[in-house]
Amino acid sequence: MRTLKTSEAAAVLNVSPNTLRAWERRFGYPKPQRTAGKHRLYTHGEVAALRDALQEGLSISSAISRARESLSADTSVLVGALQSFELDRADAAMEAALALRSVERSVEEVLLPSVNELGERHGFDSAPWAFAARWAGDWLQRAQRLAPPPMRPAAVLIGDATRDDLDPDALALRALQLFSVRSGARVLVLPVSGVAGLVDVLRAFEPQVVVVAGAEAADDAVARWAYRVRSTTGALQMTLFRRGRVERGRTAGRQLAESPGEAHRQILDLLDGRARHAPVRAHDEPTLMPRRRRANA
Amino acid sequence: MNRPQLVALPGYADGAREEVLFCGHCGRAAAIDIAAPASRVCGRCELGLLIGAPADLSPASSDPFLLVDSTLSVCGMSALAEELLGVVETEAVNRHINELLVPADAEGSGPGDLVNLLVHAARGAGEIHDVVLRPTDEYGIRYWARIGPCGPPRAALMVLGDGSSIRRSS
Repeated sequence: MRTLKTSEAAAVLNVSPNTLRAWERRFGYPKPQRTAGKHRLYTHGEVAALRDALQEGLSISSAISRARESLSADTSVLVGALQSFELDRADAAMEAALALRSVERSVEEVLLPSVNELGERHGFDSAPWAFAARWAGDWLQRAQRLAPPPMRPAAVLIGDATRDDLDPDALALRALQLFSVRSGARVLVLPVSGVAGLVDVLRAFEPQVVVVAGAEAADDAVARWAYRVRSTTGALQMTLFRRGRVERGRTAGRQLAESPGEAHRQILDLLDGRARHAPVRAHDEPTLMPRRRRANA
Repeated sequence: MNRPQLVALPGYADGAREEVLFCGHCGRAAAIDIAAPASRVCGRCELGLLIGAPADLSPASSDPFLLVDSTLSVCGMSALAEELLGVVETEAVNRHINELLVPADAEGSGPGDLVNLLVHAARGAGEIHDVVLRPTDEYGIRYWARIGPCGPPRAALMVLGDGSSIRRSS
């Protein structure tokens, strides 16, 4: 994927860097990634799509709408490929998406929405959903194998509270795992049902952030697991990803965003020690409230 | 018996009309060479594209206006139109114009009705027409509007006002 610095993207669009930043504020497009030094990095595909749309647009809004449409074509191609059970075409659709976006955005904007759309169409207990979810899980694993080795002294422990690979939240968990690995952190995913031998693993892994992900595991199992983690590692920040709705008085830990990308950014903030923590209550434990079930799950 | 004769009607191509460029967001006239603009983006507000329109139609910076294409979808609206209609441009774009504005005269139909005027203007018909509109689902509020062609790309420009500017121009 080709990326452009702000000045380069501005030159392609024949506008000033300030204009690009003003568009980002007002329209949320083009949406840059950030380098390690927090500089904006635009994908060439997005900028080129906007340049073409601006030629024929009557307003920035309509041009951006058109550019977004041209980029969302990847989603419909992937949905079509998975709908007709063509794995090669599905892989090709993701390759096309990667030509225009980063891995993170390809996953968030193309892979997850496409698979979710199939689940909503056919039901999250249907064979087409199972086919799509298995392919997506496999794709995420392949992407993880291509990730660079850990580069930062950061370790994230994810407690897997999902049902199985076909749980819709399992894909989000895999995406969060991939993003964390790609950012250079060490990531360990353990099921919350397994407490035996956990102490030895934690002593070796030394996590700095703990995430409980998924809403399927029973509250007791999660509480037992969280207690064992805390009694071994000390007062670590316990975070919750797609665990449940926050209810006053019953919530503990920090709720991460539903989107894997946003949750990943929040985890990075925690790792960097820049997050502003909400006051933590003495008896806080991860919420025992499972999130609302999907209607057709 | 007299045969009917073809008569040439005054049209868009007949007279070289003076065109001006204005910003589709702030409505201010562009301070650049109309023949060769360096960029279509307004250098003042940076949030609009420069659009050309006949000088007698182009909005003043205090006029709210909308841009509508030949499918009658809203393609853009000025900052003042956002305030006036209570909708932001990003939400208005691609919506049918009738979701925002409808003719104040419900009985009006024929060649002078809103749809026809917009379609003709969006196709480049040069005449400028005045109509009276009201916000959809609201009564008691009326806007006078001038409708004419603009572009490129071709579209209809709908300049809203309280009627005073229209009365002045007529």
